[in-house]
Amino acid sequence: MVHDLLESFIVMSVFFISLIIRGDKDEHAVLCNEDETYDLKIADTSNLLLFVPGCKTPDQLPDISASPQLVHAQIWGFSNCYWELRRQRPRLKKLKKLLMENPYDGPAVGMQEEAPGPKYTMDDLLERIQASREEIEAHLQNVHACEIDGFWRILDFDYEMKLLGHVTQLVDSESWSFSKVPLSVCLEELGSLEPKSMIEHCLNCYGRRYSNEDGQVIYALDEDKVCRATAQLLLQNAVKFNLSEFQEVWQQSVPEGMSARLDQLRGLALLDRSSKPETISLLRIEDLPEDTLERFNSLFSLREKWTQDDIEPYIQDLCGEKQTTGALLTKHARSSVQNGVKVYNSRRPIAT
Amino acid sequence: MVQIVISSKAGEGPAEWLLVELQGEMVSRQNTGLAGNLMGDLHYTKEGVPVLVVGHHILYGKQVKLEKPFAVLMKHSGLPQDEEENMETNQENPTSYTVSALIKKKLIFKTRPKPIITNVPKKV
Repeated sequence: MVHDLLESFIVMSVFFISLIIRGDKDEHAVLCNEDETYDLKIADTSNLLLFVPGCKTPDQLPDISASPQLVHAQIWGFSNCYWELRRQRPRLKKLKKLLMENPYDGPAVGMQEEAPGPKYTMDDLLERIQASREEIEAHLQNVHACEIDGFWRILDFDYEMKLLGHVTQLVDSESWSFSKVPLSVCLEELGSLEPKSMIEHCLNCYGRRYSNEDGQVIYALDEDKVCRATAQLLLQNAVKFNLSEFQEVWQQSVPEGMSARLDQLRGLALLDRSSKPETISLLRIEDLPEDTLERFNSLFSLREKWTQDDIEPYIQDLCGEKQTTGALLTKHARSSVQNGVKVYNSRRPIAT
Repeated sequence: MVQIVISSKAGEGPAEWLLVELQGEMVSRQNTGLAGNLMGDLHYTKEGVPVLVVGHHILYGKQVKLEKPFAVLMKHSGLPQDEEENMETNQENPTSYTVSALIKKKLIFKTRPKPIITNVPKKV
């Protein structure tokens, strides 16, 4: 009888509200509440843990020194192991991978139905992604996904840029301030070119929505996001660019009045200041491995030595709670000084 | 992928249980198994120190508030009692857990058990 109890009961070490364990056969199980994800690990103890329901401690017993009290308490079960929870960053790389199976590149042309391809609802995503609902929702926003006919779709990048181009061209022809882009006019003027829902989605991705004194919905375009997307469009067409040439073309490509700055490209592009001429190439953090060790191996095989400033945007998301990138580097890299500058390289031999 | 839901019983909050932690192993005298047998007596001294008497041993312990409270989960495997019935259906009955109780404190006995000697021969 005791053995039955052991198998049915598992002890966990944290408070919770409502929790869900998620994982595929080949994945480590994680535990999620509404907005957090935890790693589940079994911990062993050589001590014997007995659970006693209703057993009172001295502070709970009345102070009657007169007569001794006898209470029967039953040990309900015992265990040598329990599950430990460790807060961890959710595994979201799979989300983009799933959505990229079938990116949305605009409504079907003419009478044609949209080409068949895998599509996922939120419930489908919750079944497949090891993360909490809120973490999934936040990531969907990060990758500019939108819900079309109940399915979450990621936009084909060229289509996304096409939508953005329509908006910025309209802003230019209407001579609007970037921070005062009226939604209603955009929908009216551009609704014939693209679905209104897509125009609005584009504004939501690249601007901040607010209402003016008259109660109209207005958007303030985000200069950094617009310039960054423009840079990606340029960089994805070649392996490497001459840096100064790139900067010139890039500034010319962004809407007039916006400033293209290199600091907008952190986590998107990598500069090589050691080559002559200096070059720039596309390196997106989302294209790198999700696992910490694999990420470092990947980064060190791309480049042998990194300055903290260069590597930081590519390891920022690996930091645990209260962990700094400095601490991560101390753990996973070896430092040395080169030309008076502190650089980091791999702790183990890497094939470049 | 599997999704297993853990929930608390509807209505009431979970009960609070006590954890008693012992070093070593508990065995029954005649190897009859532990279920249904008396383990021992738990006493508290006037100072609130827990004292455990097991067999002819006495252990002194202390009350500790758990840094990370435990939850005791009960597994519902979703499988019907009758195995044959299950073979027919294609749909998997989902496994779920409910919380039976929360444990916020424990009594831990780390000292070496001392034998209780009740018959001390008198010095001749």
